[in-house]
Amino acid sequence: MKSSSLLPRLLLIAALFFSISSCSENLDSSGACPLLCPPVGGDVQNTTIDAIVVDTTVQSLSGLGTEPVLLLANRGDTLDTRVVVRFDSLPQTFLPAGDTTQAIVQVDSAYLALMIDTLSIKGEAPVTIEAYDVDTTANDTSTAAVLALFRPDRFISSQTFARADLTDTLKYFISNDVVLSKIQNKLPLRIGLRATGTESSQIRISSTESGFPPLMHFRATPDTTTKPLTVTLLSKTPVGQAIAAANLSDYTVIAKAPPQASPTILAVGGLPPRRVYFRFDIPAKIIDSSTVVRATLLLNQIQNSSLDPTDTVRVLPQVVLAGRVVTDPQKAAQIIANISADTLTLRPGDAGLVNVELARAVTLWHLQKPDTLPRAIVLKPVIEGGTPLEIRFSSSEDVVAALRPRLRISYTRQVPLGLP
Amino acid sequence: MSKRNLVAAAIVSLTFGSRAQAQGAISLEGLGYPTGQFSARAEGTGGGVADFDALSLVSPAAVAGVGSPALFFQYSPEFRRVTTSSGSSKTTTARFPLVAGILPMGQDWTLGLSSSTFLDRSQETSLQRTQVVGTTTDTVTLTERNKVLGAINDVRLAVAWSTNPALRIGVGGHIITGSNRITFSQLFPDSAKYISSSQNGRISYAGFAASLGIEFHPSRTIGFAVSGRKGGDLRAESGDTAIGSARIPDHYSGSVTYEGIPGAVISARVAHDAWSSLTKLSSSGIQAFDGWDTGLGVEASGPRIMTRIITVRAGARFRTLPFGYPAPCSLPVVPGATCTNPEKVSETSFAAGLGVPLTRERASLDLSFQRASRSAADVKERGFILSFGLRVSP
Repeated sequence: MKSSSLLPRLLLIAALFFSISSCSENLDSSGACPLLCPPVGGDVQNTTIDAIVVDTTVQSLSGLGTEPVLLLANRGDTLDTRVVVRFDSLPQTFLPAGDTTQAIVQVDSAYLALMIDTLSIKGEAPVTIEAYDVDTTANDTSTAAVLALFRPDRFISSQTFARADLTDTLKYFISNDVVLSKIQNKLPLRIGLRATGTESSQIRISSTESGFPPLMHFRATPDTTTKPLTVTLLSKTPVGQAIAAANLSDYTVIAKAPPQASPTILAVGGLPPRRVYFRFDIPAKIIDSSTVVRATLLLNQIQNSSLDPTDTVRVLPQVVLAGRVVTDPQKAAQIIANISADTLTLRPGDAGLVNVELARAVTLWHLQKPDTLPRAIVLKPVIEGGTPLEIRFSSSEDVVAALRPRLRISYTRQVPLGLP
Repeated sequence: MSKRNLVAAAIVSLTFGSRAQAQGAISLEGLGYPTGQFSARAEGTGGGVADFDALSLVSPAAVAGVGSPALFFQYSPEFRRVTTSSGSSKTTTARFPLVAGILPMGQDWTLGLSSSTFLDRSQETSLQRTQVVGTTTDTVTLTERNKVLGAINDVRLAVAWSTNPALRIGVGGHIITGSNRITFSQLFPDSAKYISSSQNGRISYAGFAASLGIEFHPSRTIGFAVSGRKGGDLRAESGDTAIGSARIPDHYSGSVTYEGIPGAVISARVAHDAWSSLTKLSSSGIQAFDGWDTGLGVEASGPRIMTRIITVRAGARFRTLPFGYPAPCSLPVVPGATCTNPEKVSETSFAAGLGVPLTRERASLDLSFQRASRSAADVKERGFILSFGLRVSP
C-alpha cells in the first residue's frame, strides 16, 4: 500500500467507526421529566355501576367422572361420598418367568394402588375402607343404583388404616377370590369404596383426569420371580360413548352432601359442583371510547359455616366464550376460557367484600363486539367436584341494594395522538 | 383548505384537547428540531458558506457550483444532555439529515435533487406517577411512555443556470413531506389486576414551497448570495382526516464570502425564518417564533499530508429555534394550572471541521463537530453533533 493513500483511508475508517458506534439510538430523555414531559394520560376515573344483567348459579355440566380427584368422605350426617373404580377388562393369561403363557388359575396379593393427597386428609382417627362389588346393568349415571349396591352381599373386603398409614401411595388389598372369580367368569370388576370409622374422615384420591389413576396389581403365581400383573382402569359402558365411558372409569358418588344455598344466593363449588354465571351490560362509551385500566367485580360474601368454614377454596374467574345464540346461562357457563393466572383464595366461613379482578376479560371485550363475545364471566372452583366446600355471595336479588354485585371500572380518556 | 375543512380541523383540535406533548428537550418542542439543512462542510463553518454550498439545501443557485456530478450522503448523530431543576438526561439521536444528487446538464445548466430533514421530532420520554385506581387506598405507580419517531422532510428539485463563474441563478421546487409515528403507553405493574394500554398514531404532512437563489461574484475575492423560500400550505393528516393546516415558513438569507487571503475563505450569513406560521399547526397552542439565524466561518487550506491538502474549517452560529418553551396550558385549561408565557429557545453553536479528498479527487469526506448550547427559562441543553458527509463523483 502506498503511504500517500494511508491517511485518507485511516480517516475513512475512523469516520466509519464513529458512525457505527453512534448508530445505537437512545432517545429516552426521562431524566428531564416531569418538567419537560408533563403527564399526558390524565387522572384515572373510578366509577361503580350496577352493570349486572344476569347473575345465577348453574350446575357444572362437565359430567360424572370428570373430576380431577376422587373424594372418599365419611363426615357423619354432613357428607358421605364413595368412590367407584372400573376394571372392565381383566387379563386371562400371564407369562411365568422362564415359561410360556399360561391361563390365570390363581390370584395372590391383589391390591389397589391409590395416590392420595396427604395434605387434604381430614380426621386423625383410623379409617376403614370397605370395598363392594358395584357391577350392575343399571344406568351408568344412576347414583341411586350404585349406592344400593353398598350392601353386605356385595362386600369384597375391608382394611383399616391408621392416620400414619395414609401415605402418598396407598395399598388397599382386596379379596383375591373375588378377583379370580371375575377373571374366570370373564366379568368386569367394578369396585365401590366406602370410608367408615368411629370418627369423620375425608381422603382425596387422584383420578384418571389428574394423570395418576388408581391401578390394580396382583400375582398370578406365588413365584416371586414372575412379575406381578398390573390392571388399568377401563369402562366399557356406556356403549358407543367413548368419552363418557373414559370418564366413568373412576368417579365419585355422592351419598350425602351439605345442603346447598337457596336459589337467591350465588354459590360456587360444593357437591355436586356449581358455578356462578354473570352477564354485564357495560356502557359502550366506557369499553370503546375509554381506556379501561382496571375492572373489579364487587361481591358480598355470605358466611357458610356448614362444613370446614376455615378451609380455603380457590376460585377462578373465567370468561364466557359462548356467543349470543347460547341464551341458556347453564349452557353458556360451560363454554369458558381462563383469563386469570391469579386465583381467589376464599374461606366459606368468611363474610364481606370480595374483589374479583376482570382486567383480562375487559381486554378481550374491548377487541370483540358483544354479539360475538358477550360480557359474561363464570366463577368456578379450581378443583370442581373435589371439595364439598361452597362459597356463597349475595345476588342481585338481595334485599339490601348495597350487598348486590356491582362492577367498579377505572378508566382514562384515550389520548389523541395528534399534533403537539 | 376549504372553510369546511378548517372548521373540522378546529373541532378536532378542540375535542382532542390534551395532546401527547412530552418532549423531554427544549429543542424538541412543537414539531421538532430544525437541523438546518446544511452539509457537513457548511456546518463546519457555522453555516457561513451555506448559500454558496452546492450540497446544502439552502440556495438553489449554489448547485451550479458543483463542478462535476455528485452524490452526497450525510450522517449526523447528536449526543444531547438536558439539564433541568428536576434532573438531567443524556440521549443519542441518529439522524441522516441530507442526501443529494447533482448533475450538470451541459455548460450552463445544473440539476439537483436533494432531501433533508426539516423538523425532526424523534424523542422518547417515560414518566412515573402515582394513581388511585379503585378505592382511595388502591394506589399504583403508573408509567407513561411517550415515543415519537419521524420527521418532516424537505425534498427539493433545483435547476441552476450559470454562464460564467460570476453569476449563478437557481430555482427550486420543494415538497414538504414526512410523518410522525406516535406511541403512547400506560404501563401498570400487575397485569392480573390492571390493564396496560398502548395507543399508536401517525400524522403525515404534505406541502409545497418554491425557492429562488442568486449568487454573484463581482471579483475573485468577494461573493454575495441571496436566497429565499416561499412556503405554501402545509397540511397535517391523521389517516384520512385533516387535523391541521399552516403555512410553510418563509425563509430569506443573505451571505458574503471573502477570498482575499490566499487559501482561505471567510464567510458570513444571516437568515430569517418565519417559523411563527407553524403556530397554527398545534392543537395545544404551542407558540412558534420567527427567528434569525446568523453564522460566521472560515475555511482554509490546511496542511498537506500524504500529498493531500486537508481543508480545515471553523465557525460559530447563533439562531432562534422555532418553538417556545414552556408550552402554554393545554386545552382545555386545567383549573388551577399555572400557565406562563412561552420563551424563545436560543441556540449558540461553535463548530470545527475537516475536508479530506479521497481517491484521486473523485470522492471527499467532510467531517464536522458542533457544540450547541440551548437555553430557555431554567432549562439548559447541550448538544454535540458529529457530521460525516461523503461525496462521490461517479
